[in-house]
Amino acid sequence: MSLLVLYLLLLKASLTAFSGVGGLPQIRQDLVVTHHALTDEDLNRAVLFGRSSPGPVGLYVVSVGYAVRGVGGALVGWLALASPAFLAIPMLAVLRRWLHQPRLRSALGAVIVASATLLVPSGVSLVRDALTQIASFW
Amino acid sequence: MASIELLRRTLERRGWLDDEEHGILNAVARFTPGTNVLAYLAALGWSYQRAPGAVVAIVGGSLPGAVVVTAMTAVAASIDRWRSVRAALAVATLVAAALVLVSAWSLVRPYMRGPRLAWTLVSIAVAGLLILLGATPVRVLLALAVWGALTPPTAVPGTAP
Repeated sequence: MSLLVLYLLLLKASLTAFSGVGGLPQIRQDLVVTHHALTDEDLNRAVLFGRSSPGPVGLYVVSVGYAVRGVGGALVGWLALASPAFLAIPMLAVLRRWLHQPRLRSALGAVIVASATLLVPSGVSLVRDALTQIASFW
Repeated sequence: MASIELLRRTLERRGWLDDEEHGILNAVARFTPGTNVLAYLAALGWSYQRAPGAVVAIVGGSLPGAVVVTAMTAVAASIDRWRSVRAALAVATLVAAALVLVSAWSLVRPYMRGPRLAWTLVSIAVAGLLILLGATPVRVLLALAVWGALTPPTAVPGTAP
């Protein structure tokens, strides 16, 4: 997988996330299920490292990038993590003007609820994978 | 969210930020896709120093952690052939996976209170149905954004600045 494709896939996941691990379902779909560039075990560890390091929880994307393409992948993962933050600048102008609109607030609320719901199947899958690993030691 | 709260306390103590501005920046962070704290930092940096401020804030808020994560991943990849290390990593990853589920709950919890509880439950049901039907995450999010826009609340908890 080229670094450009990896960047675009990780960027897509970052853009669909409204929390630290919100992009996890999309990453799993693209890199584990579709492209087989990563295993559930790799993904699980990436989440672990992201949670264990100082900084945003979303840093697990950097670990995902490293697992796929080494240091170049980590750099691409960092760029994919940081790029969406620049959307905050136009968002600042938009929100100063439109934040009072109930429909806009409701749409955001529904998206956040949806991103939480999307985390459940991914989380259950990762728990199952971790339990399988633990069981293999007995 | 804890990082944003720490930032607020530090910046308010220095007189660089007030509650009103923090409220706006917090709302921006919630509305912007991606990592909330980085969006908060970008908006904060832009407010003070425009483009250079936003770039410095984003790099400063993410690069050190990215280096640490890369190092951790590289080290783990080189030592996980040892059985004891693999066992420890397996237990730790179970904890991390559980944290994903906790993260889901912390996201939805502000919406599980008050008069919008029924709306939240219906939203979860709609999202769950779409997931079961095999819709991709992007489609689920887009569908729920439309659903949310069509069913405006009198007040959505957790999004007020």
